[in-house]
Amino acid sequence: MWGSWKFWLVMAAVGLMVALFTYGFTTDPKLVKSPLVNKPAPAFDVTRLGGGERLRLADLRGQTVVLNFWASWCAACRDEAHILEAAHKRFQREGTPARVIGIAVQDTPAKAMAFAKRFGKTYFLALDNERGDIGLNYGLYGVPETFFIDGEGIIRHKQIGPVTRKVIDEQVRALSAAPGAKP
Amino acid sequence: MTSTLRKSWPALAAAALGAALLLTASLAPAMSEEEVERRLLALADELRCPTCQAISVKDSEASFSVQIKEKVRRMILEGQSDEEIKAYFVSRYGEWILRAPKKEGLGLVLWILPGLAVLVAGGWIVYTVQFSRKRRDAETAAADEPAPLSEEEQERIARDLKRFEDDDLA
Repeated sequence: MWGSWKFWLVMAAVGLMVALFTYGFTTDPKLVKSPLVNKPAPAFDVTRLGGGERLRLADLRGQTVVLNFWASWCAACRDEAHILEAAHKRFQREGTPARVIGIAVQDTPAKAMAFAKRFGKTYFLALDNERGDIGLNYGLYGVPETFFIDGEGIIRHKQIGPVTRKVIDEQVRALSAAPGAKP
Repeated sequence: MTSTLRKSWPALAAAALGAALLLTASLAPAMSEEEVERRLLALADELRCPTCQAISVKDSEASFSVQIKEKVRRMILEGQSDEEIKAYFVSRYGEWILRAPKKEGLGLVLWILPGLAVLVAGGWIVYTVQFSRKRRDAETAAADEPAPLSEEEQERIARDLKRFEDDDLA
């Protein structure tokens, strides 16, 4: 039996199947690496939720940008709301050259405002347009998703799902220390 | 007069070219709504729904799929080719967004592999069936032939025959 080529052929086929199933069942299909990582972040030009201040990505050169996509109807966005707000306040307090920007997708101004008020968001919040141009340009699968953009405007990391303080601190520390970041 | 014409011919040529381009553009048939819809549905069928993943953008009514369909329609109306539109989504989502792998590089292997597997499996089945049929035929043929006599049997027959012959002579 051990010397038969048929036996080894069957064993090889079984081994291949086991390897494929192991890979398939242990890989999260949502963790597809974004092709935008290490590429220039798509430009955007938005107006602050509630009116007033206008912001373009190009205006943030030299700063690390924590670009968070969220929605008032998104349950997971509630989990990360206080984490993003705390990071924003921490950056301001410590003088870290980093900005938290939140762009609501597939939302209405009234509902987005109500969500921001409820969770005490004070960082820059804006709304994607009805066509969803910004969301599509960033290749969103859903919300929340967070992009970490360095001072040169290059996307360095993409977080799918709620962001944690650990991820924010690690990414912002690394990117703020990189060349191109304003002290 | 000739000198003036010689000096101004580049401007005249540029004006003529511009007029020709404008005329061509105005004569070019505008894409019909049916054509836009046909291309939109074909492209939407090739793109994967980012939210639901298991189905195409065409079959999905998820918000992102709806926005993708609207984006595809706008890009068609802007005059972009199918390849340009797919390239836009691949640059944002990666090859993952295409429901069928590209017919090049590793994608080509994925296209060829199933057909190759069917061919190999088919060849294996044909070989096995023919081999087992030949073996069965050989066994049947062998079963039809009388088994050769052993030495003991041959001696016994010879003895019996001799005995009959001796009896006849007697």
